[in-house]
Amino acid sequence: MSDIAAETPKRSSKLFSSFSLRDAGTLIGLIIIMAVFAALVPGFLSERNLINILQQSSINACIALGMTLVIISGGIDLSVGPTAAISAVLTAALLVTGVPVPVALLAGLGIGAFCGLVNGVLVAYVGLQPFIVTLGTLSTYRAIALIYTGGNPVLGVPQSFRSLFNGNVAGIPNSVIIVAVVAFGAWVLLKKTPIGEYLLAVGGNEEASYVAGVPIALTKITAYVISGVLAALASFILIGRLGAAEPILGNLWELDAIAAAAIGGASLMGGKGSIVGTILGAIILGALRNGLTLMNVQAFYQLLATGLIILVAMMIDRATRGRG
Amino acid sequence: MTTTARLKFEGITKTFPSVKALSDATFSIKPGEVHALLGENGAGKSTLLRILSGVSRQTSGEFYVDGKLATFKSPEDARRAGIAMIHQELQQIPNLTVAQNMFLGHPLKTAGGLLVNRREQEKRAAAALAMIDPSIDPSTPIKNLKVAQRQIVEIARALLENAKIVAMDEPTSSLTPAEFESLAVIIEKMAASGVAIIYVSHKMDEVFRICHQGTVMRDGNVVGTVDLRTAAQSDVIAMMVGRELMQEEHNSFVKDDVRVEVRGLSSAVTHVRDVSFTVRRGEVVGIAGLVGSGRTELLRLLAGVDKIGSGEISIDGRALKLTNPRSAISAGIGLLPEERKREGIIPMRPVSLNMALPSLRKFVKVGVVRHSTVNNTAETLLKRVNLRPFQIDRPIKLFSGGNQQKAIIARWLAAGSEILLFDEPTRGIDVGAKSEIYHLIENLAAEGKSVIVVSSELPEVIRLSDRVIVMRNGRIAAQLERHELTEQAIVSHAVGDAEPNTHSSTQEHTHV
Repeated sequence: MSDIAAETPKRSSKLFSSFSLRDAGTLIGLIIIMAVFAALVPGFLSERNLINILQQSSINACIALGMTLVIISGGIDLSVGPTAAISAVLTAALLVTGVPVPVALLAGLGIGAFCGLVNGVLVAYVGLQPFIVTLGTLSTYRAIALIYTGGNPVLGVPQSFRSLFNGNVAGIPNSVIIVAVVAFGAWVLLKKTPIGEYLLAVGGNEEASYVAGVPIALTKITAYVISGVLAALASFILIGRLGAAEPILGNLWELDAIAAAAIGGASLMGGKGSIVGTILGAIILGALRNGLTLMNVQAFYQLLATGLIILVAMMIDRATRGRG
Repeated sequence: MTTTARLKFEGITKTFPSVKALSDATFSIKPGEVHALLGENGAGKSTLLRILSGVSRQTSGEFYVDGKLATFKSPEDARRAGIAMIHQELQQIPNLTVAQNMFLGHPLKTAGGLLVNRREQEKRAAAALAMIDPSIDPSTPIKNLKVAQRQIVEIARALLENAKIVAMDEPTSSLTPAEFESLAVIIEKMAASGVAIIYVSHKMDEVFRICHQGTVMRDGNVVGTVDLRTAAQSDVIAMMVGRELMQEEHNSFVKDDVRVEVRGLSSAVTHVRDVSFTVRRGEVVGIAGLVGSGRTELLRLLAGVDKIGSGEISIDGRALKLTNPRSAISAGIGLLPEERKREGIIPMRPVSLNMALPSLRKFVKVGVVRHSTVNNTAETLLKRVNLRPFQIDRPIKLFSGGNQQKAIIARWLAAGSEILLFDEPTRGIDVGAKSEIYHLIENLAAEGKSVIVVSSELPEVIRLSDRVIVMRNGRIAAQLERHELTEQAIVSHAVGDAEPNTHSSTQEHTHV
């Protein structure tokens, strides 16, 4: 023991600490999946298709980033899909009535933030369990979107809005750029700001965090609000692509997002998760769907493959961590 | 008694990828023997117990139960071979009843074999409990019991299983002296019936009181087995730590100015009532009392964790308004909680950030945490508390209890707390780390900080305190000055049989 004490403190380099061993594992998983499809599908690795994969992954990645923060705090947000739907139909309706794009955008993000705030307050102040709270708001928010639109899609989203989210810069889709910026922001939040440390602390041991003076309620609410805002942002990408907002959009988005976060190393017990991992997880799911579609695999089998990939990823995760 | 050993270890070795946790452990235990396993944390005691109870397997060597080679593949195998473990960290399911917990994993069935026979379970549980503490109702959920009572349930469970070998890992860490006495009687009874008992404890007085033989371990090696009925305590301690520990004297650093003044403090959630006392700069005030007397609850009030019902706390003459731990922390109060795992550490985070958590805002520049500043502070402070191994970015869960405790002390140094509340600072901590923590507390007092220490170990309270507050039933029963401090004085006030002049109806108001 005494020789260990005499050792100088060893610190891993900055780069290494932000890209953990677990992230390396996720990256290897992605590389294997890419390699398999590269062998099976001609043109899978073409620049065009790679950009396609990123674009197809962008909505899920955007949702999954918020989900990761919520999961790290020890919670879960099942209401992201309906939150996106409310935000989409409101924004589209405002745009159709001629409200300027920035105003409509802020309104959409604002309603997303509000949906998250409601979740956060019910979890942090009322003390309900996150699963139940967001299960309740999952239905409630969906109902609000349906009631507001009478169940009909809002058509005619103006081109100026669409090009903002569906355009591209130097061949790179705007959606990919937006999500990359958001991911960087989330990474900074988690790694560099007090709120990031508080998220990890609250999810890791809420009781001890409270005794240590961590603002528990504020921390949790922040996570849900961010999740709501990112759900709104994801809906913009979708209505930018489609030109219309359907009140039923975003169905089962929560499950894809949870899958991406879990593949990326987030623990549903809280206190653990990785932004880099989540992005890689979303790309894994995107690449899988892209590859299977190119191979003309039926949708039923795509679903099967997705399910199996999630289970295999989790089993590898379990096996490599050992039992301590 | 037969000559076959009840339990015999032969060359048990356990290696992990990076360390040899246990090396060539060889010794035996006779039926009816109470055998102490002695050594500092990390000496290999727990590793040996894990192997004995089937939780992990030895790398080489073998052991025999009643002369029969034991090859346990699971804890269930060990249980069937008659080995019962009483864990330091209680392994019980809070929502189940006492009886359900005692029959966990192998419930009694009704005649048909399909249903659990709850009535019979509770009857047998009650019979086993009656031997130790008849006041525990087998049908109450475990979560409603105090830690000491849960410990008793575990021991009763071993009685119930008619175990041949009972291993107890720190069974008394949360028991009061009276509870220990009844445990000692139980152990004697079990031993008299031929059960071999392995007893792991850091409390040397207890070990010498109830154990016959003791095997001393250090750094994974068996140093030797001694007859505790004849050996001297200081010799055994020297064997454990490999050096002599001096019996140290109390040092006092009390200044004149009063820092903390508590007036008529009552809790809104617990039975703490009408507590008044003062703490000076540089003073160490001990709080003694039985389990349940309100010691921990008083600290939780002072730390802003529990809600205050009435009364006032002032620091340096200014009245505080405590609404949550945050407000207490900014007033300069820091709490080292009793249950380190539950209320102290964030297990997966590095030691450095566990240290910085309450004072994180101090390390923030333009919204960003300066990790280099955190690390510099962590290096200084964790060196000061002598963290071992000195790896500040290692997750805190990988450190021993004593080192986790040091990290929590460093946490309040980093926050600049002037008033430190220590709740059972050395529970479950080995002899060496214990003396380090005593020194730290003294150093803090010497710097002028005010310290309040709650402890169930009377020698510890007496060693550390300039003054002792004895609590009983949520109220202050007595305040004893340094020159009045004896174990007997504390105990008699704690149980309420002190001489009439201090034990009057006005006792709560006599010491303000």
